[in-house]
Amino acid sequence: MAKPRIAFFDFAGCEGDQLQIANLEERLLDILGHVEVVSFREVATGHSDDYDVAFVEGSITRPEDEIRLKEIRKNAKVLVALGACAAIGGINCLKNFLAENVYREEVYGSSARWFSTYAARPLKSVVKVDAEVPGCPIDPTEFARITKELLLGRAPWISDFPVCVECKQAGNVCRYEMGKMCLGIITRAGCKAACVSQGAHCWGCRGLVPGANLDAARIVMDRPGTSRKAIQDLLRFFLGDTGAAL
Amino acid sequence: MTTYTVYKEQLPRLFEKWSEAHALYVPARLREGFYDLVPWKPGLEIAWDFDVAYNSPKRFLLPPRETLITFNRKTCEAAPVFEAPAQILFGVHPYDVKAINQLDQLLETGAPDQNYVRRRAATVIMAFEPLTVSPSAFWATVGAATAAHGYDLYWTKIGPASFTVEVGSQRGEELLAMGGPLLPATAGDKEGARRAKARIVFKARRSGLRYNWEETPRLLAKCWDSPLWRRYSQMCLACGSCNLVCPTCYCFDIREEADDQLEEGIRYREWDGCMLESFAKVAGNHNFRPKAQDRYRHRYFRKGKYIYDKIGELGCVGCGRCVRACTAGIANPLKVFNELWEETTHEH
Amino acid sequence: MNTKPFSPYVPRPVTLVEKTKLSDFVTRFTFEQDNGKPLAHKPGQFVNLSVYGIGEAPFSISSPPRRTHNTFEIAVRKIGAVTGALHALEPGAKVGLRGPYGSSFPVMKFVGKDVLIVAGGLGYIPLRSLLFYQLRHRDEFGRMVLMVGTREPKERIFVDEIADLAKSGDVEVLETVDMPDNTWKGNVGVITTLLPKAELDPGNTYVAMVGPPIMYRFVIAECRKKGIASDQIFVSLERKMKCGLGKCGHCQINELNACIDGPVFCYTDIEAYQEAI
Repeated sequence: MAKPRIAFFDFAGCEGDQLQIANLEERLLDILGHVEVVSFREVATGHSDDYDVAFVEGSITRPEDEIRLKEIRKNAKVLVALGACAAIGGINCLKNFLAENVYREEVYGSSARWFSTYAARPLKSVVKVDAEVPGCPIDPTEFARITKELLLGRAPWISDFPVCVECKQAGNVCRYEMGKMCLGIITRAGCKAACVSQGAHCWGCRGLVPGANLDAARIVMDRPGTSRKAIQDLLRFFLGDTGAAL
Repeated sequence: MTTYTVYKEQLPRLFEKWSEAHALYVPARLREGFYDLVPWKPGLEIAWDFDVAYNSPKRFLLPPRETLITFNRKTCEAAPVFEAPAQILFGVHPYDVKAINQLDQLLETGAPDQNYVRRRAATVIMAFEPLTVSPSAFWATVGAATAAHGYDLYWTKIGPASFTVEVGSQRGEELLAMGGPLLPATAGDKEGARRAKARIVFKARRSGLRYNWEETPRLLAKCWDSPLWRRYSQMCLACGSCNLVCPTCYCFDIREEADDQLEEGIRYREWDGCMLESFAKVAGNHNFRPKAQDRYRHRYFRKGKYIYDKIGELGCVGCGRCVRACTAGIANPLKVFNELWEETTHEH
Repeated sequence: MNTKPFSPYVPRPVTLVEKTKLSDFVTRFTFEQDNGKPLAHKPGQFVNLSVYGIGEAPFSISSPPRRTHNTFEIAVRKIGAVTGALHALEPGAKVGLRGPYGSSFPVMKFVGKDVLIVAGGLGYIPLRSLLFYQLRHRDEFGRMVLMVGTREPKERIFVDEIADLAKSGDVEVLETVDMPDNTWKGNVGVITTLLPKAELDPGNTYVAMVGPPIMYRFVIAECRKKGIASDQIFVSLERKMKCGLGKCGHCQINELNACIDGPVFCYTDIEAYQEAI
């Protein structure tokens, strides 16, 4: 059987997720041994439009992005959103809370009129996405597992429970018990509660967990000593394209 | 059982000896108000007055993630994986000993869970009489103040620098003897231990159930349709924290991953919880407990009735960990059971 | 000598020997135990099958117990990861097997009695094990009535087999579909509409039923209305069986574990459990 052909693409984003994949080093060689990479800018030059699986990084921020993404969708049997920008819009969506003239001016200054741009959005707003590797950045071990699951012919599994689960598995002291805010209560797990385990809090980069109880989360977050503004800022940071950010 | 008196100055030598062949865990302060069992190292300050270990001892017996088998994709041969490090848990409060006893019963009945059984066999439990009570704890009113068995040694601090140590197993006694000649406890020391127990149980009774804990299953039997389930579960984040911190919750999910060559792989289990939305969802997406209130009720029935019906004890030992862990403030067996009791009492 | 330490989580290899398409969605798989032994299951029990690298899932055994063959059958709807991977297998492929697990239909109780088998949707799959076991000992039972209900004609499975059963005269077969198409000439309506058509002797009839979750309540009510006692009704309840050992907690029905206390229950034993039916 011919090896599946895979390609990597990027839209608005930092390519940090492809860099994470490159960071798999020797493991990457093993995994990529099962496929033929036809396009992967972080690792090699060259490109082809003949591919089975497209890993797409970055969010859609310009009307012309849609045309390119639809083209990719047409060529690929399986389209995988790679990272927060692609999967949930991510931090690119911060601009969606500003007036268009404000962010255009901010980014492009006096030459703003030469650039096209519109509200940032995840891939799934434009095309059907078959699987996602969540996170900002992605967890390379999760990418490896998801890729292997695709190779074995199953729909990849990503966790459908909140980060709290992995935080408890890790044995961390809950940020709320330390008087801090944390989005672990509504965020899809799979990161092994990386940020909390490192002493920070969850920013929500993996997107909302299915069925997230946002009403309850807002009540939980709204504690003495926490400003409404701080809550809003945190909810908009990665979750700008979701109902959490309203 | 024999009881000995041990002095604080003997401990460093004992700990040193024990840690030669065991992973030794002792209570220590993590930060103001937070304690946990941590790996012992020379010079580590023991938090004798810890109110509760932040993480329940189940993680030593049923780790958050544990490999069950390895497999070969081609031959479809599989082999078991057992890991059972020799370990000593020094400083397990009696309610946690009770929780372990319960795990023993539930995981060793029927088809014994060999991974658990082996870990348990390699684990030495050194119980410790609490000196303080966690603000959210209520173990004294759910029948969990005393552990009749399940420990190898039972330590009680009877003075600033002295302990009584009751022997629970031959293994425990041998470990204790590694520190040199054993000094049988005097009648006075034993009396000191009895008083220490009475003192802490008295303190722990401050908050508690408003009825005899053994009534809980009968109480719940009347409360299936209580409006309480919905009222509280509206705030449920389905985060599973109450399950995961619970010393008696042992539900798990099973998953697997092939190696990068796609030739072999491992199948492992991970902690799971009945409060998670997809816990009872089958292939095809039918969910047998689709609503938060179904799941919330299930947890309290499990703690208050189902486990009791099986083994004659509550599935809740009153450690209060879930009370603390629930950011939404709805996980609280004491409050839930008391409110249900009030509800049913007022009906009459 | 095999000195591998025992763990109940370790499957043993079995080989796929035959694969038959039953409908657009359902395929029958025949496996052979590599150890050469019969599976030694009872009608109604299930096995856990592993497609390594994909996962493990529970499947009802569809074939009757065989004392001399080391083969057994399951029938699978392509619906998730493991079922998808099974469909991709070709004869000769191996999978892992644990079990058989769980309770079974109490065939001994049925001896000398009339038996009504109610199969909704894919419910025929596990009931087939019971049905063919009984047919092997046809003389020992009274009337055998099989009711089959399907949503649409194209979802019917074991069509020829069921037609042959009807022809054989050993089993009275009644079939219905919820949503007919223009090829369908038979009964139309949910499966409960079949019950009045069979003149059952309620005191002498045992019922075995398997179907989608929604079906049980209605069929049981109908049976009770006919005067069939609760302790003559046996159901098999699907839940998320994961470990198969009553440990992992996923398949709980109130305090029962569907994987060890079930999947087959006498209705009397579960009537009081709110989560059962």
